[in-house]
Amino acid sequence: MKHKLLPLSETMHYILLALREPLHGYAVMQEIEEMSNGSVILAAGTLYGAIENLNKHGWIEVVGNSGRRKVYKITAEGSTVLKLEQQRLLHILSLYEGSE
Amino acid sequence: MKKVKWFFNIEKEEQWLNEQLQKGFRCTGVSGFGIYTFDKTEKQYVMRLDYQDNLPKDKLQEYKGIYEDFGWNYVKGSWLSGIRYWQKEEGNQNEIFSDRESKGKYYKRLMGYSFWMGMLCFALSYMIYKDLSGFYHDGLWNMEGALFWYALLFETPFVLVKLSPVMLAILFASNFYSGYRNYSVLAEK
Repeated sequence: MKHKLLPLSETMHYILLALREPLHGYAVMQEIEEMSNGSVILAAGTLYGAIENLNKHGWIEVVGNSGRRKVYKITAEGSTVLKLEQQRLLHILSLYEGSE
Repeated sequence: MKKVKWFFNIEKEEQWLNEQLQKGFRCTGVSGFGIYTFDKTEKQYVMRLDYQDNLPKDKLQEYKGIYEDFGWNYVKGSWLSGIRYWQKEEGNQNEIFSDRESKGKYYKRLMGYSFWMGMLCFALSYMIYKDLSGFYHDGLWNMEGALFWYALLFETPFVLVKLSPVMLAILFASNFYSGYRNYSVLAEK
């Protein structure tokens, strides 16, 4: 059976993409706002829960501290997940192109 | 200003708190006995209630840290309850959940809490009522006149105490059901 976080939700997907660079929680939200051209603005509880969840599954990890804030980064396992999601989405996109 | 009000439903509590804030107040404290403290303010505040029980110290710090970065202020609640009170000045982002997934998980946490508290009350009721003879107060019904009424008054609080686990179990069950309804409505949308 598929992993329970797959296929990735929009929130999880954006967080994993943002954490290819090490960032603390609030910076993740800011980065995602920019990456999504302002269409995805995460709220505090959603971000906290998602970070907890991704951390629990070992897809992101704490790599340091910035003041009192924890800094997170994607793990090798998390990168593999992104790779698989990319292939899945590329395939779906190819189906769009075929129908034109 | 202090206001006393008891809630058994977190959504109704949140709604009531925001009604008070609409009247130009800011909440400064919540105590376990339903005492809410407010300050008069010129600014417009919003409150959102989250449910998170038993966060270990480092997780609680991380949890609070992220909310505070987003401009939310932690209003200290009762240590016994897992309800987390968050308040901020009204702005662009007044919600604590921005997707269906996380809002659904919040309802699931509430359901889990109601379920276990309900089971606990249910188990307590069973322990009290399995010996039914103690419940009927046989002696009482044989009394007459004024003595009966005095005895009835005397016994009533004991009966209420004995009944309270059942009443609580019913309240928790109704909370569980309302959490479930909110959750399933969210899943259908």
